[in-house]
Amino acid sequence: MSHADDALKNREVWTKANAEYTDQKARESWAKDEIDWGMFSGPESELNTLGALEGKDVIELGCGTAYFGAWLAKRGARVVGVDITPAQLETARRLQQETGLNMEFIEASAEDVPLPDASFDLAVSEYGASIWCDPELWIAEAARLLRPGGKLVFLCNSTLSILCSPDEGKVEERLMRSHAQLGRFEWPGEDEGVNYHLAHGDWIRVLRENGFEVEALHERLAPESAQDHVYYEFMPAEWARSWPAEEIWVARKAI
Amino acid sequence: MPGKPSEEAFRNRAYWDRLSDEYQARHKNFIRQPEPRWGVWQIPDSELGVLGDVSGKDVLELGCGAAHWSILLAKLGARPVGLDNSARQLEHARELMAEASVDFPLVHSSAEAVPLPDESFDVVFCDHGAFTFADPYRTVPEAARLLRPGGLLAFSKLSPFAYVAENEDERVGPLLRRDYFGLHEIDDGGVVTYDLPYGEWIRLFRRYGFAVEDLIEPRPAEDATSTYWDESERDWARRWPSESIWKARKER
Repeated sequence: MSHADDALKNREVWTKANAEYTDQKARESWAKDEIDWGMFSGPESELNTLGALEGKDVIELGCGTAYFGAWLAKRGARVVGVDITPAQLETARRLQQETGLNMEFIEASAEDVPLPDASFDLAVSEYGASIWCDPELWIAEAARLLRPGGKLVFLCNSTLSILCSPDEGKVEERLMRSHAQLGRFEWPGEDEGVNYHLAHGDWIRVLRENGFEVEALHERLAPESAQDHVYYEFMPAEWARSWPAEEIWVARKAI
Repeated sequence: MPGKPSEEAFRNRAYWDRLSDEYQARHKNFIRQPEPRWGVWQIPDSELGVLGDVSGKDVLELGCGAAHWSILLAKLGARPVGLDNSARQLEHARELMAEASVDFPLVHSSAEAVPLPDESFDVVFCDHGAFTFADPYRTVPEAARLLRPGGLLAFSKLSPFAYVAENEDERVGPLLRRDYFGLHEIDDGGVVTYDLPYGEWIRLFRRYGFAVEDLIEPRPAEDATSTYWDESERDWARRWPSESIWKARKER
């Protein structure tokens, strides 16, 4: 399958998800004050991955309805969101007009962004390009788009959670698939798209090959109060209290 | 200069003094190889690209055991120093060095507090050595102190995946048996071993001025054999990482 075919499939998945969930959820998400990572990884105020945001040029790679970018724009960043799903961008634009936040949106894949080199201070992705695009392509694009010394911060499913994922259904307390199968995933279930999950060593390699220094890998315990997610129900909160459900990578482009 | 080693380091010294003869009898032919090879599955360094060319370099092996590695590196033109926490292991090292007709310093010490000067090595490394049997919160700063700017820290150990999937019989299986969080000191009553979650290793490297260069998760060949793990464990290790090798570079 080509990347273009994968993108078509993923666009279908997210058009449907937007109709079912992300559109109606978007206003509430945009309105939140706290920057929160993932389902369980917790508040940015504890993680301190992003640094100062005031006046920074930020690109959100695979922004969906762009609630994450909105939280950064509220802190004075100029945010550009790119995504391949027009329905989600429509939701994002509607909320941008309502809120007047300093954001713009471009329909594009994070694998090929129609913007000039070295035009951003920070690239972020929270379950965006970080799992839905080919790392060989989107990490190279992030490197190209960032200024020297710029930061890349992204959240993805943990490697261990992917190894414990059956083809369909919830993550189990058992290794279900081989480490050698990591890479491109075409999940067989209905409404599943194509995504990418790498081994830790491969993340480090692809980041370094593209001129990034690895600054941090945050693996966090889900809090006692964590509940199963109402829509993304594959990850039991109980599991996430013993093993990392998500990982946040922080990398910096060499100066 | 270094502080004092932990109490666990003295327990592990006694453990290795007790275990040394039996350990060497069981494994020494398997790990006595014509070229440098790593770990449980003895995968060549030339394949994994961890140490590369060591000629002319000052190399410190932290937890050298019978010094199989340092002897090979000496033959390849390095200036090794072998350190081990167990006097009995170092006696085995002296025997093998005499057999191989090579000579280099051996140091009897825990890697948690190394009696050697700052910035005196180009490479600090071990293969299932001190980064397994000593506390990383002490060994990583020691490695940072001992390395020259631009120097390489490289070490192998069991992977945290193997730790999480290990059952009561100390064998790996498909079930997640232990929590990942809080991974640090693993005390089985006899010996104390150490590992950290991957993210915590990275945090520790960065805190002591290392750039993270690589994380290698070696995979055994289909027909690999080992004196450490049996065939069913090899089949597990074909599917999930049994070992991890970290490479970190002391920043200039």
